[in-house]
Amino acid sequence: MATMLKVDSLGISFGGLKAVDNFNVEIEKNELYGLIGPNGAGKTTVFNLLTGVYKPTNGQISLDGDIITGLDCEAISKKGIARTFQNIRLFSQLSVLDNVKVGLHNNHGYSTLDGIFRTPKFRKVEKEMDERAMELLGVFELEDYCTYKASNLPYGQQRKLEIARALATGPKLLLLDEPAAGMNPNETEELMNTIRLVRDKFDMTILLIEHDMKLVSGICDRLTVLNFGQVLKQGNTQDVLHDPEVVKAYLGD
Amino acid sequence: MNKVNAEKQKITRSNLITFGMVIIAYVIVEIMLKTGNISSLFKGLLVPLCIYSILAVSLNLVVGISGELSLGHAGFMCVGAFTSATWSMLMSGSAMPAGLRFFIAIVIGAVSAAFFGFIIGIPVLRLKGDYLAIVTLAFGEIIKNLVNALYFGIDARGAHFSLEDSMHLNMEGGDIIIKGAQGITGTPKNSNFTIGVVLLIVALFIVLNLINSRTGRAIMAIRDNRIAAESVGLNVTKFKLLAFTISAAIAGVGGVLYAHNLSSLQALPKNFGYNQSIMILVFVVMGGIGNIRGSVVAAVVLTVLPELLRGLSDYRMLIYAIVLILMMLFTSAPSWIQYRERILMSFKKNKTERKEKD
Amino acid sequence: MSFISYLLNGLSLGSVYAIIALGYTMVYGIAKMLNFAHGDILMVGGYAAFIAFNSMGLPVVVAIPVSMVVCTLLGITIEKIAYKPLRKANSLSVLITAIGVSYLLQNLAQIIFTANPKSFSSFVGMKPLKLADGQLTISGETIVTIVTCVVIVVGLVTFINKTKAGQAMLAVSEDKGAATLMGVDVNGTISLTFAIGSALAAIGGILLCSAYPTLTPTTGAMPGIKAFVAAVLGGIGSIPGAFIGGIILGVLENLAKAYISSKLSDAIVFSVLIIVLLVKPTGILGKKIMEKV
Repeated sequence: MATMLKVDSLGISFGGLKAVDNFNVEIEKNELYGLIGPNGAGKTTVFNLLTGVYKPTNGQISLDGDIITGLDCEAISKKGIARTFQNIRLFSQLSVLDNVKVGLHNNHGYSTLDGIFRTPKFRKVEKEMDERAMELLGVFELEDYCTYKASNLPYGQQRKLEIARALATGPKLLLLDEPAAGMNPNETEELMNTIRLVRDKFDMTILLIEHDMKLVSGICDRLTVLNFGQVLKQGNTQDVLHDPEVVKAYLGD
Repeated sequence: MNKVNAEKQKITRSNLITFGMVIIAYVIVEIMLKTGNISSLFKGLLVPLCIYSILAVSLNLVVGISGELSLGHAGFMCVGAFTSATWSMLMSGSAMPAGLRFFIAIVIGAVSAAFFGFIIGIPVLRLKGDYLAIVTLAFGEIIKNLVNALYFGIDARGAHFSLEDSMHLNMEGGDIIIKGAQGITGTPKNSNFTIGVVLLIVALFIVLNLINSRTGRAIMAIRDNRIAAESVGLNVTKFKLLAFTISAAIAGVGGVLYAHNLSSLQALPKNFGYNQSIMILVFVVMGGIGNIRGSVVAAVVLTVLPELLRGLSDYRMLIYAIVLILMMLFTSAPSWIQYRERILMSFKKNKTERKEKD
Repeated sequence: MSFISYLLNGLSLGSVYAIIALGYTMVYGIAKMLNFAHGDILMVGGYAAFIAFNSMGLPVVVAIPVSMVVCTLLGITIEKIAYKPLRKANSLSVLITAIGVSYLLQNLAQIIFTANPKSFSSFVGMKPLKLADGQLTISGETIVTIVTCVVIVVGLVTFINKTKAGQAMLAVSEDKGAATLMGVDVNGTISLTFAIGSALAAIGGILLCSAYPTLTPTTGAMPGIKAFVAAVLGGIGSIPGAFIGGIILGVLENLAKAYISSKLSDAIVFSVLIIVLLVKPTGILGKKIMEKV
């Protein structure tokens, strides 16, 4: 199996405080990988480092053999990492369809002038974008909502739309930040199926942060446990979850 | 896909309504002009109506679509006005036909305002919210202030500039075109209602089509959530700058119309100061933030309203102010909205009750 | 010598800006709104003082409180009627409403007092101070203005840090919801802030008109904008910031007028604001805002 993401001794400090320190991980292609840990362990900070929101103070990140350390968000998105957010960040005033079409922005091009003058190229590319966006919405059973304003969607659908938008950028690696947050057990069950479907249908590599242990143990191949910004344990899901140190970190002394 | 196409048709229809409204208004006014059913006061308002509509459309692109509060749009109008008027003055003695000269003047006004928008936008768009607002206001005032102090003349040796007075131009004969606070006098009167309407339609065409394109979606996505927009690979600075520059160019065209509507052009606080910028912002907010058609309607209504109230002399601006406050309370205050809805509900209830009785 | 004299005039003008900016900054801190009508409250304070002192012949010690009371009541009323209902609305609606209030005050003043300027007689009875064998003359207005400004700033900082009402203001400006939960009377605190800000505007108006003795319905407009710039320059929401911003602006404006160009002084002042904001995007003493992802 080839490596999709390789992170070497990644670290960042905010004013002397080491939020993440010496973080290492290797994720295989097509793997479903979990990043867990207690609140404040630095999981989202790792995502922010991987996507270029923060610049690491040290360490190296390589995606599919490409070194992407220190690039900005825009460049990293183009390299092939897409993400969702813990507190959902949709383009709230745009329609569901347009949210996905914004995700498609860099893969379907025509110039601003084509847009203003409604050239044949504009019509052709817009049609392609509509079709592709509807296809993606279809995967998440969101076609019927395509004309809704994103902010008017029910919570669970908003989470799905965020994943659809991330997939629209055509990523190699998808980062999901607490996809099951705020969902009831039924919805979580459904979400697990969706995540599996995404992996299989798009041949996607997925790294996810999650607190819901049922989801984690249900779909993740391997796990990394983060505690106080450092890797506490790494390995196969079941081994890690039953490790006494991990249990202690979660439950306290 | 049917839904998607239906939505597209809805947008196209809505845009056609906007253009239709402008064209119908134009035809009605033209008929009134031909039949002489129009007061000279209203006649004098026709070009300003186009100017303010164009500026409102331009500012809505920044405030409504790009989501940045700009209080300096009169500055871009000022740039467009003075560059184009200077061109027209330079060319006034030449053999160039007036139509071509004015067309080039429009291009010059748009390009120079766009240039300023771009240069100002680079530093300004790094700021956020109220800080951005005050800096755009500052830039607007700087432009007005500089133009007010600027002397420009041309003689056999070329162009001369000074920020002191006309003596410092060191001219050998030639013509002084911009005379500091006195501005430019004798600009050709090329603006008219027809050209104004054509330019308004062009501005609407550009902005409406931009909004419903890939670029417009990117601009609105950045407005709605900058961080998410970056995460899907959008270049935030590029799109904000693009919206700001296009908007400045359109404002510059408004300035060209303004400069060629009156024979003398001065950079006064009332035409190019922050008060003017705020006036345009009022049109945008009253017409509905992000609602391009609304901007045009608000610009027209709020320009005509004080004129209709002219009979009330001193009280007209007072009434204008009260209308402004009440409108804002009516449309935006939660308690007023509730009250409004309750009245509407009781209306509906009465209706249904009556129906049931029948 | 002339430099010192320009500098002192600048300090005096800067003090006026600072006093007005304090009101701006307090209101912004607590209501998160740009009160565009603040400069016009200053103008109303000027007219109130003018009537009390020039027309009714009241002594200065009475005329000043009269003007302050008028402005305080006006400030509270405006807040209650126009701003309070919009507290949860978007910031643009509040901005436009404030602009509406500004037009309203200016036009009311124009109807009542006409657009003809009133010549305001100075409230400062102090004789000019002659120093260095009469080479340097410092006007009474200059001294009184600077002293008043310092007293106000010290007083305000003490009030905010030492009194319960002041702490309540801090709490409300940080987080309205949490303040309510802690039992702070949010509405009362906001009213108090408007009251103090407006009373300061009255003092600013009197000092401004004493130094530049013409009073028109638009007297407050430009000083209002300048004070707003001063508040942003210093870091809007910060009281020491408003003081520093005001002083810098006033000194800069006067020195620019004297040494660079009287016509371009506004452009220079605004350029400095832009440069400062580019280096420190939230002003000299402003807090850095970080968006959490």
